[in-house]
Amino acid sequence: MNGSKGEEEEESVRELLRDRFRLSSISIARSEALRGGMEVSDPVLACIGDLSFKYAEKLAVDLELFARHAGRKSVNMEDVILSTHRNEQLSVSLRSISNTIKVKEPQSEKKRKKPPRKEDKSVPSTIHIDDL
Amino acid sequence: MEDEPTFDPDLIHAIFKKVWTRRAQERARNEAEDVIEGEAAAGPSKKNRSTSVNANGLKLSCELLRLFVTEAIQRAATIADAEGSTKIEATHLERILPQLLLDF
Repeated sequence: MNGSKGEEEEESVRELLRDRFRLSSISIARSEALRGGMEVSDPVLACIGDLSFKYAEKLAVDLELFARHAGRKSVNMEDVILSTHRNEQLSVSLRSISNTIKVKEPQSEKKRKKPPRKEDKSVPSTIHIDDL
Repeated sequence: MEDEPTFDPDLIHAIFKKVWTRRAQERARNEAEDVIEGEAAAGPSKKNRSTSVNANGLKLSCELLRLFVTEAIQRAATIADAEGSTKIEATHLERILPQLLLDF
């Protein structure tokens, strides 16, 4: 197993993702500043881009911990809301956003729980008649 | 048509998966070390399979990350505005950074 080569590739993939993320982050930041009639300096954009990526990775760690603590392997909206527990305003905002997301959910994604039933499968017994 | 840019769920998903597979590999490595040190492993541990995220969880995560960026800008903009400036500079960001990091 190529330990160091594999690690190099991993790191370059991570850097690619990081750069794409930072570009998105900058786009969001600029747009938000414009909404307030403001410009943003480049150092500020670079800082926000960097910080938000670090936050994203930290969020991934927290979400995994919450899901696993709840005995799940899959992260859901409750985990995301829980990750904001230090800031009540933020939790409230997220919960209301989550309700909006739930409302927009297509019907097919809603699971209906069927109560498990034991069915009496009466197998017709085959009577073996030996032809004499 | 969306006016506001947002994070691409696929991008966020990729970033999350990278983190989760890295951590799953670390757990597997630690478990292998435990075995070598003489502890009996009860078969492949459930912890080694990496975490996943459902569609809504991913959407909400994108929203949360977007909020982080917009909060940073909004708070810094408030400071800049109070100083009579129309450009958000590093000094403005510095002022709001501690509370921002505490809040998130």
